[in-house]
Amino acid sequence: MNLPKIHSITKKLFVALVGGFLLLFLLFHMTANLFILRHDDGQWYSDFCHFMGTNWVVKIFEIGLLGFIALHILLTIWLAVTNRLARPVRYHQPSRSKTHPGSKLMIWTGILIFVCLGLHFYDFYMVKVGVVKGEYMVSVENIGKAMQEQPNAMFDEEVIGFLDKIQKSGQLSMGSDMIHHLTYEDKETLKRLLPGSDPEPDFYYMTREKFSHLHIVIGYLIFFVIIFFHLMHAFPSAFQTLGLNNYKYNPIIEALGKIYTWIIVLGFAAVPILVYLGL
Amino acid sequence: MKFTLHIWRQENARAKGHFETYEIDNISADCSFLEMLDQLNEKLINDKIAHPVCFDNDCREGICGMCGLYINGRPHGNDDGVTTCQLHMRHFHDGDEIWVEPWRAKAFPIIKDLVVDRTAFDKIIQAGGYISATTGGVPDANNILIPKHKADQSMDAAACIGCGACVAACKNASAMLFVGAKVSHLALLPQGKPEAADRVKKMVCKMDELGFGGCTNTYACEAECPKQIKRQNIARLNRCWIAQAFGRDRRED
Ligand code: HEM
Ligand code: SF4
Ligand code: FES
Repeated sequence: MNLPKIHSITKKLFVALVGGFLLLFLLFHMTANLFILRHDDGQWYSDFCHFMGTNWVVKIFEIGLLGFIALHILLTIWLAVTNRLARPVRYHQPSRSKTHPGSKLMIWTGILIFVCLGLHFYDFYMVKVGVVKGEYMVSVENIGKAMQEQPNAMFDEEVIGFLDKIQKSGQLSMGSDMIHHLTYEDKETLKRLLPGSDPEPDFYYMTREKFSHLHIVIGYLIFFVIIFFHLMHAFPSAFQTLGLNNYKYNPIIEALGKIYTWIIVLGFAAVPILVYLGL
Repeated sequence: MKFTLHIWRQENARAKGHFETYEIDNISADCSFLEMLDQLNEKLINDKIAHPVCFDNDCREGICGMCGLYINGRPHGNDDGVTTCQLHMRHFHDGDEIWVEPWRAKAFPIIKDLVVDRTAFDKIIQAGGYISATTGGVPDANNILIPKHKADQSMDAAACIGCGACVAACKNASAMLFVGAKVSHLALLPQGKPEAADRVKKMVCKMDELGFGGCTNTYACEAECPKQIKRQNIARLNRCWIAQAFGRDRRED
């Protein structure tokens, strides 16, 4: 097989560029997650998800992001295999040389992150795309609009019955203009009866529901321990790979890497912990 | 002092190797690791136990780079900034077990026992580690002015003795520290500038071709280098690589 000839440094440059983009993305993702901590019935978070789900710039970004993650993984696995082949006969004694923390684990923390990302995608992205069933919500305003568009619906027995059921079930909380906790079947019914009402996945309550289970909280925290080790090395390493490294800046870059990693990990971890504790 | 030595024995490049265990006694704490091996060989020959253990060495004063051994999981053993010939037995404890292995890398095939073939390094140097200078009379020292810090950094990089400990220490058997040093000590000086772009390209291509691994910024090389070559040289190598990739084709100059 004739693989294209890409030099080792060039491959690594792409890993670092893409990795740097992922580092920025994580910061953005973490900030958004913190919205879940607001006790606002998911207003901020839902607005944000709505924006992310409908804006076309974000859509292009999303495809780019998926491509970047794929590129990062492909290149790093390719590098890991060629690097392994560079020493066909291994040492008998384990290496006792000092190394940068996390650096020898990158491929393993990376693969574990990949597996966890798969679960994450199943839980959220697939719901967003509509492949997996989740929990949904609809705004009262949208229902009103849909009713105006089809005045006949007001006299439809089924519509009246359905809206009655929702109202009685207490899913419409006081002071909110959203109806939460709709099931997949509810959503389908709504779409059929009132096509313009536009129900959306309810990520705020889906996330809060998930984080009410201890095993999910623990699993999530373990995920971020793994990410912690990946990032501890990744941040300063990207600078070294891009040649942005010298005696003066090295300590600053190392310090920034530690600060960045702690912010990311604590920021993400705060959500399940505080939600589980009901704070 | 008394030691139990587990030494890698291998008849030739194709033979299957194995560890052989030898006991040795009456070793002075002030003797070097190679002198200890000399005493072992003397014993092996005199008592007709086995063929002497082959290991590479030349200057025995830490400047030639011949004497690399992988001792208890560390190239050049349990001391920082020294070659194996400068490693002294006082860094071990009486009664220690010592595992001695050759450098392990696809690009450094074993010749015999602990001796490996480091010709790959010469090939990398031949690919681009030179400058073109006209011969003739000695130029005036002030003709080309070089800032002190550049001269110092270049000199630090030029301290590399090509021992291969960086490759041996690296989990990827990568030669980036060596190549970084060899590119840097020329790239930092005006004399090295005309060929800078070609040099980095040729040397890195050669390095890949010879089967060395890539750098994962693990820095085991920096920790084990007897000449304490710094990781900044790898960063500079990366910078030079980016510069040559985006620079214009030299044939059009
Ligand atoms: C949370 C998302 C991720 C972020 C923010 C991230 C970020 C980074 C960064 C910045 C680097 C440093 C690049 C360099 O050394 O120059 C890196 C290296 C690496 N990443 Fe990731 N990464 C992520 C996910 C993954 C995944 C899913 C894998 C799966 C295989 C992976 C595998 C690796 C490996 C093996 C390296 C080391 C590459 C090398 O040194 O040759 N990463 N990552
Ligand atoms: S960089 Fe250091 S460890 Fe590598 S060959 Fe040169 S002197 Fe030896
Ligand atoms: S024998 Fe020359 S450096 Fe050790």
